[in-house]
Amino acid sequence: MAPIVSIVDVYKEYSLGKTLVPALRGVSLDVVAGEFISIAGPSGSGKTTLLNLIGCVDVATRGTVVVAGRNTAELSERELTSLRLNTIGFIFQSFNLVPVLSVFQNVEFPLLLQRKLSAPERRKRVMLLLEQVGIATHADHRPSELSGGQRQRVAVARALVGSPQLVLADEPTANLDSVTGEHIIDLMKELNERDGTTFIFSTHDARVMSHANAVIRLEDGQIVGREKPLGGAQAAGMH
Amino acid sequence: MLRLLLQVSLRNLFRSRINLLIGAIIFFYTLLLVVGGAMLDSLLGSMSRSIVGTVSGHIQLYSVTSRDPMSIWPTMGNEPDLSPMQDYQRVEGAISKLPNVKAVVPMGINGSLITSGNTVDLTLAELRGVVREEKENGKTAELEAERQSLKEHVRQIVRVLHTDLGRATEMETTEARDPEALAAVERASSDAFWQGFDEDPYGALEFLENKVAPQLPDGDLVPLRYVGTDLDGFAKSFDRMEIVDGQAVPPGRRGMLLSKFIYEQYLKLKTARRMDLIKEAVDTGALISTDPELQRYVHQNAQQTREILLQLDPLKSEQAVRALRASLGRSDGTLPELLSAFFAVTDDNFQARYAFFYKELAPLLQLYRLRVGDVLTITAFTRSGYTKSLNIPVWGTFRFKGLEKSPLAGNISLMDIMSFRELYGYLGADTSAEIQALKQEAGAQAVDRTHAEEELFGSGRKVVAEATPGLIDDKKAFPGTAANLRRKDLQQRVFDHAEISRGVVLNAAVILKDPSKLKQTLREVRELSDREHLGIYAVSWQDASGILGQLVMLARLVLYVAAFIIFVVAMVIINNAMMMATLRRTAEVGTMRAIGAQRPFVLTMVLSETLTLGVVFGAAGALLGAGIVGWVGAKGIRATADIMYFFFSGPRLYPHLSISNVIAAMGIVLVVSVVSTLYPAFLAARVPPVRAMQTDE
Repeated sequence: MAPIVSIVDVYKEYSLGKTLVPALRGVSLDVVAGEFISIAGPSGSGKTTLLNLIGCVDVATRGTVVVAGRNTAELSERELTSLRLNTIGFIFQSFNLVPVLSVFQNVEFPLLLQRKLSAPERRKRVMLLLEQVGIATHADHRPSELSGGQRQRVAVARALVGSPQLVLADEPTANLDSVTGEHIIDLMKELNERDGTTFIFSTHDARVMSHANAVIRLEDGQIVGREKPLGGAQAAGMH
Repeated sequence: MLRLLLQVSLRNLFRSRINLLIGAIIFFYTLLLVVGGAMLDSLLGSMSRSIVGTVSGHIQLYSVTSRDPMSIWPTMGNEPDLSPMQDYQRVEGAISKLPNVKAVVPMGINGSLITSGNTVDLTLAELRGVVREEKENGKTAELEAERQSLKEHVRQIVRVLHTDLGRATEMETTEARDPEALAAVERASSDAFWQGFDEDPYGALEFLENKVAPQLPDGDLVPLRYVGTDLDGFAKSFDRMEIVDGQAVPPGRRGMLLSKFIYEQYLKLKTARRMDLIKEAVDTGALISTDPELQRYVHQNAQQTREILLQLDPLKSEQAVRALRASLGRSDGTLPELLSAFFAVTDDNFQARYAFFYKELAPLLQLYRLRVGDVLTITAFTRSGYTKSLNIPVWGTFRFKGLEKSPLAGNISLMDIMSFRELYGYLGADTSAEIQALKQEAGAQAVDRTHAEEELFGSGRKVVAEATPGLIDDKKAFPGTAANLRRKDLQQRVFDHAEISRGVVLNAAVILKDPSKLKQTLREVRELSDREHLGIYAVSWQDASGILGQLVMLARLVLYVAAFIIFVVAMVIINNAMMMATLRRTAEVGTMRAIGAQRPFVLTMVLSETLTLGVVFGAAGALLGAGIVGWVGAKGIRATADIMYFFFSGPRLYPHLSISNVIAAMGIVLVVSVVSTLYPAFLAARVPPVRAMQTDE
C-alpha cells in the first residue's frame, strides 16, 4: 500500500534574529492510509513543525515531503492551498472556529470553498457530520455559546466534512479537560475506523497516545522511535 | 459563497469597536457630503438664477474686436471696453434659429452720475416760471397767490441757510468764509430785499440764483448704472422683472425704468428712507435700544432735519408745526426742535411715529427727488471719452422678484437702446440724418485723411472738413432716413424693432429653453459664428458675470477642497483602523487559509467587510443628511445680509436634495472605504496559514 505521507530526510530551520534554529534534523517518515498515528515528544521537540510540513502550511528547508502523491516542494502556493482544501482536514489546539459564523456555517465553510456540492447537498453533508460528532442540535449556535468540548467536536466535523484523506490534529486535547479530551480522541478513532480516514495527531499526553496505532517519538527534531503504544486498558490503568 | 461573504461582513459589523469607529467616520462623512453638497448646489443654483435672471441671461454675446472680455459685474466698476457687433441684426437672426434658444436680447451697459434734484434750484425755477407767465399773459389772482407762496418758500430756505451760517461762524474763523457770500445771505434774509422783489423780479432771481443758491450744497451725486436694451424684449425674456411704480416704457418709445432699489436708496428723502430701514429691522425683531445701526439712523434723523426744512414753505411749515405739537403733546417749540424731538424715536413709540410720519408729514413733502414721469438728464461719458447729455423720461421703477433688497441686482436700471446708443457716442438715425442735413447746408464734404492736404490746399478749392463724431457710419445702415425725423420731439418719436436690431449693440443676452444644455448650445453658437462669420464671442453666464461667476467657482472649489481633505483624513483613519482590525484577526484569517481559502478569498472578504460598512453607515448618514436637508429646506435659511438676497435669489434659501447629491456622496464614501482598505486587505491575504497553528490566546 502506497503511503499517504512520505517524508524523506527533512530538515527545517527557523531564523530567530540572526541565528538559525533547527526544528527538524533529518526526519524520515511514512504514513500509510488508514493509520491513526500520534506524534509525541516534549515541547520544542518539533511536533508542530512536522505537522505543519505534512499539512502543507509550511515547506521544508531541505528534503522531500510527499503528501497524497504530490511533492510539496514542487507546488505553488495556490496548489498547496488547493491540496489542503481537498486532501487534508485540520483540527487545532484552540479549535479556531470563525466566531461570527454559526456551528452549521463553520462546518459548511470548507464545502463552500470546494465548490463541489449544491446547497441542499451541502446541508445534508453538514448535518450528517454534525450528527456523527453529536452536536446536530446546536447547529444554529455560535461557537461562543458552546463548551470547549463541543467546539472541538465542531472542529472535528469541519475537518472531516470535505472528505479528506488525511486529518491533522495539533494537540487536539490540550485545551480540554481529560474526560472531554478522551471523548474527542474516541470520536476521532471512531471516524478513523469507520471511514478509513488517516489521522495524525500530536500530543504529549500518554493517555491520548495510547489510542494510537503507532506513536512517533520526537526529540530535538529527530525521530527517536516508532512504537506500538501500550494497550488502551493498560493506559487507562496507569493513573 | 457570496452569501457567506455578506454574512461574515454583516456579522462583523458590530463586532469590534474599530468597526464602529470606521462606521462613525463614514456616517459623518456621508452626512457632511450630502448636506454640504445639497446646500452648495442649492446656493449655486440660486446664485445662478440671480445672475442669469437679472441681466446676463445664459449666454452673453459680444464682438470679437472688443478690447476687454465681457463682464456684467466688472471688478472695480470699470465697464469693459466692448466694440459694437458688426451686424447685430444678422447675429440675432442666426442665433435665434438655434433650437435651444428662446430669445436674444440686445444690450449695452454704461454708467453715469446723476444729480438728485436740488430744492432751491427747483423752487427758484418755479418762481421764475410764474414771473415769466405773469409778464407774458398778465397777472391773475391764482398766479399772484402762487408767486407769494413760492417767494415765502425761498425766504424759508434762505432762513435755513442763514441759521446754518450763523452756526458755522461760531466754529470757524471769519476769514474762512467768503465775506461776499455772507453779505449775500444777509441781504437775501432782509425784509427790504423781499419788499423790493416784485419791482425787479428778474434781477432778484438772478441774485438768488448766482449768489445764494450755490451756497446750498447740491443734492447727492447718484451713480446710475444702466443697461440699454430692447425694453420690450427684456421684460419678456427676464421674467423676474416687474414694474413697481409707474408703467413700462411703451414699445418703441424712449425712456428709462429706474431700479426700485436705487430709487429707494438714493432718490428717496433720506429721513423717510431711514424710517423705512428702521421699520424693516424692527418688524423682523430688532430693537433700537440694542442695535447700534438703528441708533445711528435715529441719531441722523434727529440731527439732519434740514432736508425737510428746505422743502417746507411757510404754509406747510405751519401745518407741520401744528401736527407735530399735537403728536408730541407740546404747546411750543420751533419746527427744527419739533422735528428733532419727533425723530428721536424709541422702541416704545416708533411704530406710532412711523405711521404718523407717513400719514401727516409725508403729504407735505416730496418723498422722492425724482418722480415717475419726470425727465432725467443723464450725462455720460461716451466710448471715445467726451461727455454727452440726454433728457430721458422716467416711466417707472422696476425690480427683480425676490431680489428687491439685493444691491447687486438693484444697481442696474434700464434704458431704451436708442438713448443708450446716443449716450455711448453712437449716432442714432435721427441725429446722423440731422448732421447730414447740416453738412449739406454748409456745403461740407467728407475728406479722406490721406488726401486732406491736397483737397484743402492743393487745388485752391474752398473746402471745410468736419470730423464726424462717432465711429459708425450710420449712413449705410439707414439710407432712407429723412432729416425731418429730427424735427419731431425725440421723446415722442416711436421706433420699431428693426431700428433696435439694426443699430449699435454692444452685447446680447441669450436666453435658453433648456438651461441644462448650456454647454452644448454654447458650442453651437460658437460653431455658427465661425461658419457664418458673425464676428462674435459667446461666453457662458459664469464667464460673463465677472467676479460673481468667479465666486461661484470659488465656492465650488472650497467644497471640493474641504471634501478632499476630509477624504484624505478619513482614508488615513480608516486605513489605520483596518490595519488594527486585520492584525487582531490573523489567527482567524490563518485558519481560513489553512483550511483551504485562497488569497483572493481573504482579499475579497476584507474588502467586502468595509464595503458593507460603507453601505450601511453611509446609507444611515445619507438618510440623516436627507432628513436635515429636507427639514432646512422646509424652513428655509433666512438671508441676513443684503448681499445674501442675491446669493439666495430671494429672502430665503430653500435647499433641496437631488438624487445626484446622494449618489455622489455614497460613491465617494464607498471609494474611500475600499481604497483605504486595499492595503490592510492585501496584508490580510499575506497572512501565512501557519498562523492558524500558533496559539497565542
